Amino acid sequence: MQDDLIIKTTNLSKSYGPHVALNKLNLSVSKGATGLLGPNGAGKSTFLKTILGLIQTTEGEGTVLGLDIRTQGDAIRSRIGYMPEYDCLNPEMEAIHQVRYSGELLGMNPTIALARAHETLQYVGLGEQRYRNIGSYSTGMKQATKLACALIHDPELIIADEPSNGLDISARNYMIETLTNTVKTGNRSVLMASHLMDDVERVCDNFILLHKGKLAAQGRIEDLKGFDREIEIHVWGGASRLEETMIARGLSVRREGRVMRILHEQEDTTSIILRCAADVGAQIRRMHEYEASLEDLFLSIMEDLGYEVKTSEDLLGSPSQARKVDAPEHMGGGSA
Amino acid sequence: MNFPEASPSTPVTVNPIAPQPAEYAAGTPVTGKVRLEAAWGSTEGDEDLSITTPTAQKADGQIFKQQYKQWNGELNPRWMRNWAILRHHLLGVFKKGHRPWGMAIRLYLLVIFIASMSDVGMTLLSGIIGDSGLHSVWGVNRDNLYGHVLGFFPRNMLYYPVVAALLVGGVISEDRQHGTSALYFSRPITRLDYVGMKFISVAVIQGLLILVTLALFYFAEIATMGRGWAWIIDTLPMFLATVFSAILLIFTYTSIGLSLSSVSKGKFFPGIALLSIILGTKVLAFIASNLFDREILYLISPYDCLAHVGQAIIGTQPTYDQYSWTWSLASLVAMNALALYVLSTRVSSMEVTRE
Repeated sequence: MQDDLIIKTTNLSKSYGPHVALNKLNLSVSKGATGLLGPNGAGKSTFLKTILGLIQTTEGEGTVLGLDIRTQGDAIRSRIGYMPEYDCLNPEMEAIHQVRYSGELLGMNPTIALARAHETLQYVGLGEQRYRNIGSYSTGMKQATKLACALIHDPELIIADEPSNGLDISARNYMIETLTNTVKTGNRSVLMASHLMDDVERVCDNFILLHKGKLAAQGRIEDLKGFDREIEIHVWGGASRLEETMIARGLSVRREGRVMRILHEQEDTTSIILRCAADVGAQIRRMHEYEASLEDLFLSIMEDLGYEVKTSEDLLGSPSQARKVDAPEHMGGGSA
Repeated sequence: MNFPEASPSTPVTVNPIAPQPAEYAAGTPVTGKVRLEAAWGSTEGDEDLSITTPTAQKADGQIFKQQYKQWNGELNPRWMRNWAILRHHLLGVFKKGHRPWGMAIRLYLLVIFIASMSDVGMTLLSGIIGDSGLHSVWGVNRDNLYGHVLGFFPRNMLYYPVVAALLVGGVISEDRQHGTSALYFSRPITRLDYVGMKFISVAVIQGLLILVTLALFYFAEIATMGRGWAWIIDTLPMFLATVFSAILLIFTYTSIGLSLSSVSKGKFFPGIALLSIILGTKVLAFIASNLFDREILYLISPYDCLAHVGQAIIGTQPTYDQYSWTWSLASLVAMNALALYVLSTRVSSMEVTRE
């Protein structure tokens, strides 16, 4: 099990003057894909810089791929592929030469770096576009080029900082598939920092949640399946009456506008919901089992910590269609 | 029923299909052939039937298969990484695929390279036509060696400061602007290697213009005038002193220029600020000297300090006679120390995660 650890920190702390960015962080990250979550200011960037061996820790110790983060930063960075969140490409260079140069900066022979740049650009889906100037690329193509730069030396660990930032749906899907493929078929490890929980859930097996420099939660995403199961219903008219009735009959109800989630405790919960709806004259337009997602866990933990965060839908700007549905006024809707 | 073997795309005559008794069998799988027969009644009027059959089935193919390829090579040590940075900047002047220097910059460098060889050309010309008068004006002597590197007009007004300004303009500031610093520092490149290689790159390009043309000037004299060992032994010290002055000039312009580049996010500010510092202080000191007959302001002018030190070590007639050349040397050391301090602190603060 110890051999599977790629990152391990013990009481890792980092302070900038009076501001504590990392506070006695103890965590272990195994091989595979791990999502690094946390709101702004949680310490994600400081954590990444620390494990890249770029900043000196105030206290504590840590290893990445078995190398000491305090003394072996160069060796760590040789074995890691880092994909920054922000632009890191020269817009006046062609992608093939940018990727080749990023390989040369690792110490690759220029000829080998060029051959490998062709392979990695092909892998990230830019094979036909590799001789174009990066300045003419879309955001998705730039993100793919950054990933190619990170993959050129076939690193054991890829650190992807917001890899799907600013991408449209198809580009985002492609990026997620590429990262998943890198983990599954390439047998590489990925540490992925993202605000988009859906993406983390699709790529990663494990997650780490940081809050104010501390470890707020860590575990396997699969364990979320063990969370309380709920039934989600979309109601048309009489939502408040239905909510009151269901609560009166002993059901646990969470409501957001016309969407309600009812704890699935008993076998006949579905029947009770339908009976309640019939009694108050509310229409149930949709009803399905709801599995808690990583986003729910994140929001729930953040809520417990008294921290307001935005959901993926807020960040993507595409609210679900169900929440747009509004009942006519004569049925009790209009301003849900 | 068997079809005879056919060559590719060759019409083949098929024997008429023998009429079959129509019967329904629920267990018989429905095939295309059966459906075809049902639709067109292929058992009737098929006597002249011919078909074209391809020999091999066309593969569906796959346009793009995403397959991760591993690489088992070894990474070279530090010197190879530093060489990559140097190579990236230097080769960018000459060909594509490396640091993209603008076309205007490359053209200006070419023009300055040719212009810097004006004394080389005149020396060759005087040697070819055997004109001693022309040679006395343009040939190698103490003043002409000084003038090649430290003469104000046109070399230190139009050539070398402008070249330095164009070169340092984006060398570090563009890494801030585009975030490409993350590409360096997320790899095993130290800040010292980064700034050192950038410094050497800019200095080498200036060296190609100043030192190479100086060497050509000196060797043109030897070649065209048939100078012997005695002349070489006589003049080599002042040639070496000129080389040292040129190195001092390149170092000073580069350190001031890169420090300005490190505090900026664009090309324009570092370039124009370097020109302002070199030419502005020169003009200011010149005006003060003429109005008040005080030369002390020359100490804030990088060019004047370089010229003063150059005059002292090459051995030409000093034009700054109110204070010792050691003051100018001290001023140069202070200027370079300040510039390198700014450069090192700014490069140390360059971020990997966010710039």
